[in-house]
Amino acid sequence: MSKRYGSTSALEGLHLEVTRGEVFGYLGPNGAGKTTTIRLLLGLARPSAGRAEIFGLDCQSRPVQAHRRLAYVAGEVNLWPSLTGAETLHLLGRVQGQVDPMYRDKLIERFNLDPSKRVRAYSKGNRQKLVLIAALMSRADLLVLDEPTSGLDPLMEQAFRHCIHEAKERNQTVLLSSHIMSEVEALCDRVGILREGRLVEMGTLGEMRHLSTLTVEATFDGTVPDLSRVPGVISPIAQGRVVRCQVRGSIEPLLKVLAASRVRELLSREPSLEELFLAHYGPIAEPEKAPTDAA
Amino acid sequence: MLPNPVALVPARAGRSPGTVIARLTARKAMRSGLLWGYIFGVVVGSSAISYATIYKTQAERNQLEAAFGSNNATGALFGPGSQLQTVAGFTVYKSFMTLIILGAVWGLLTSTRLLRGEEDSGRWELLVSGRATRRSATAQALLGLAAGGATLWAITALITAVSGRYSKIDIATGPALFFAVALVASAIMFLAVGAFTSQLAATRRQASAYAAVVLGISYATRMVADSGIGLHRLIWVSPLGWVEELQPLTAPQPLPLIPIVAFTVVISAVAVLLAGRRDLGASILPDRPAHTSRVLSPSGPLGLTVRLVRSTVIGWAVAIAASALLLGLVTKGASGAISGSSLKQVFTKLGSPGVGVDAYLGVAFLMVAVLIAFVANGQIIAARAEESGGRLDHLFARPVSRSQWFSGRLLVTAAALLGCGVIAGLFTWLGAASQHAGVRFTSVMSAGLNIVPPAVCILGIGALVLGVWPRATSIATYGVLGWSLLTEIIGGIGSVNHWVLDTSVFHQMSAAPAVAPSVSADAGLVAIGVASALIGGIAFNRRDLASE
Repeated sequence: MSKRYGSTSALEGLHLEVTRGEVFGYLGPNGAGKTTTIRLLLGLARPSAGRAEIFGLDCQSRPVQAHRRLAYVAGEVNLWPSLTGAETLHLLGRVQGQVDPMYRDKLIERFNLDPSKRVRAYSKGNRQKLVLIAALMSRADLLVLDEPTSGLDPLMEQAFRHCIHEAKERNQTVLLSSHIMSEVEALCDRVGILREGRLVEMGTLGEMRHLSTLTVEATFDGTVPDLSRVPGVISPIAQGRVVRCQVRGSIEPLLKVLAASRVRELLSREPSLEELFLAHYGPIAEPEKAPTDAA
Repeated sequence: MLPNPVALVPARAGRSPGTVIARLTARKAMRSGLLWGYIFGVVVGSSAISYATIYKTQAERNQLEAAFGSNNATGALFGPGSQLQTVAGFTVYKSFMTLIILGAVWGLLTSTRLLRGEEDSGRWELLVSGRATRRSATAQALLGLAAGGATLWAITALITAVSGRYSKIDIATGPALFFAVALVASAIMFLAVGAFTSQLAATRRQASAYAAVVLGISYATRMVADSGIGLHRLIWVSPLGWVEELQPLTAPQPLPLIPIVAFTVVISAVAVLLAGRRDLGASILPDRPAHTSRVLSPSGPLGLTVRLVRSTVIGWAVAIAASALLLGLVTKGASGAISGSSLKQVFTKLGSPGVGVDAYLGVAFLMVAVLIAFVANGQIIAARAEESGGRLDHLFARPVSRSQWFSGRLLVTAAALLGCGVIAGLFTWLGAASQHAGVRFTSVMSAGLNIVPPAVCILGIGALVLGVWPRATSIATYGVLGWSLLTEIIGGIGSVNHWVLDTSVFHQMSAAPAVAPSVSADAGLVAIGVASALIGGIAFNRRDLASE
């Protein structure tokens, strides 16, 4: 799918498949096109090109049928201020057409929500809880979640993670758009990274790490060897007897060099999702250049 | 070495950051004041010109004075008539009470929009998280609102003074400027009242409702004072009464400016004081306790629409019932004044030929038709607000089709319009019958139903704009209504090309009960409305949902 707003391209040739029962993490900075993708999937916006299907149903031509099997949590929660929490859950449950009342009550307890208050009296976090409960209580086959934990405190975020694990156990599919890397890392089977409307990376975390670099830190007792010409080693930095470098591909050539030296300590680790994510936004991660003029 | 911290640059040289809120509020209030000042000026100017054009002879003018000058019923409604044999006296009689009420409504709505409305939206929180405290922010906003009031006065004064120089009107500049002061005095007072109720209420709607209650009591008190039953002293406990006592153009009295200024200053000061005594987003008066009833809880898009429009429609129904009752009450007295006067010509131009009760009611229902058209407009704008506020996403992401919501919303509004038409007919008949005006129930009820088709037409046109060009919904719907109204007013005064007149939805309406309702005209208006709504619905189905 592609989506253009005038001369601005919000989404460019997105090709994405989420399989049944998986939790798919959808990552990208602000304005990358995550919400646009979700609005196109929900039929709230029309694609400029391409099409999407949910459970084999075309999102644009058969939205009502497709929506019977999905539940959605919006990133920005605007509800009807004069309704109470209970009235909102009643309305959205009736509109959805299916509610698990026992699970709804359990969720209200788990998220510690007072449904007797009017929506206008809720804090941002409580409004977020309300739409989360409204979505989860339907036990829909597909959960489309657009930054669902924004405004939630750490305890409630844990409760949310618990709910997603439950959903996964019930073989529900989850499309999770989020900024919170730890959340995506903990919950998602696969991850897609969006940049300026294009999907630049997609796969399991294992696959993405495999394709990515490994961070290696070696401490030497003797002379520090020159690692700059070792195949696969990227930008080694020596500080005294400690050398840090990135390794892309096989680590074997580096190990051969290290084995010939007197290595006292060797640390290696895979990149975190955050590092993988930032790798796609290199210029953002670079430190600011010091100004030449004195302040 | 640490990089240098980012250098902080003053926002704009010569502008104090301590007045940001005042400037922001002033910009919005002045824009609105500019528009309404123009409307005020045009109404005043057209009233004066129409008098000079219609009542050409002294005999006709004396007849008018005799009919309305000592009429307690019309005095209670529009204020006592004085010097109706002069242009100045008639201009005050024709436009003053209407405009001071309109000014008060403008004041309270502008104030609650720019204070409580900003708070409801969360923007106020951003503003008071800077240098401003809650009190200073409110004080600044009041200054901004005052700038809006000053703009309203300036434009009104300009047009009134320029109109006054026309030889047939001949109103001197000094009295014209004082007339403009009197015209905007209620607006200024209700800007303060709106600021005050914005502190009391939990939402903008509540704040507006509280301020409207103050206005209603003020008007009712003034009505009793002017009804000729020996309670004229009550005029001094009503803010609208103080404005009336200024007696611009006829016998100017600056003394009532004292209570007007004192009231404005005290209410503004209390508003500022209260702003500091409550939490942001909270209200001084406790919010209504939430009640959850499964029976009353909305269970679908239609139920939700009914729930959302309920209080607004009830408010309009009460206003229409009150207006219709008052128009009915004065039927007998007012209809007597039509016979033999040049007013007959105006009524004929407005589509209400003949003399007597039916001719008067024909024009009276035209006024109620305008009110019902406002109901249609308001509902279309409210529908657009559901979309721009992002609330529709929660429905359309569920198994709710856009056409289901769109058609449900329009049908509920159409039913409300029909109800308003019935209420208009019923209460007009009650008022007229209580005065033994000799009107037939069936003809008045059919006249009530006859004013629904123009509103349905406007509703349909609004739906078309909502579907095709959502961001223009408000301006386009008010544009159609304003154009129709203006064309009708000008058409009533002078000669306007019939092609132009035909563009007014009100001109298509028969002036029942003066003439029998035209089934073909009504069907035509409804057909235009339905066809527009259908096209709007198709467009709405095919476009992206659009935020603000």
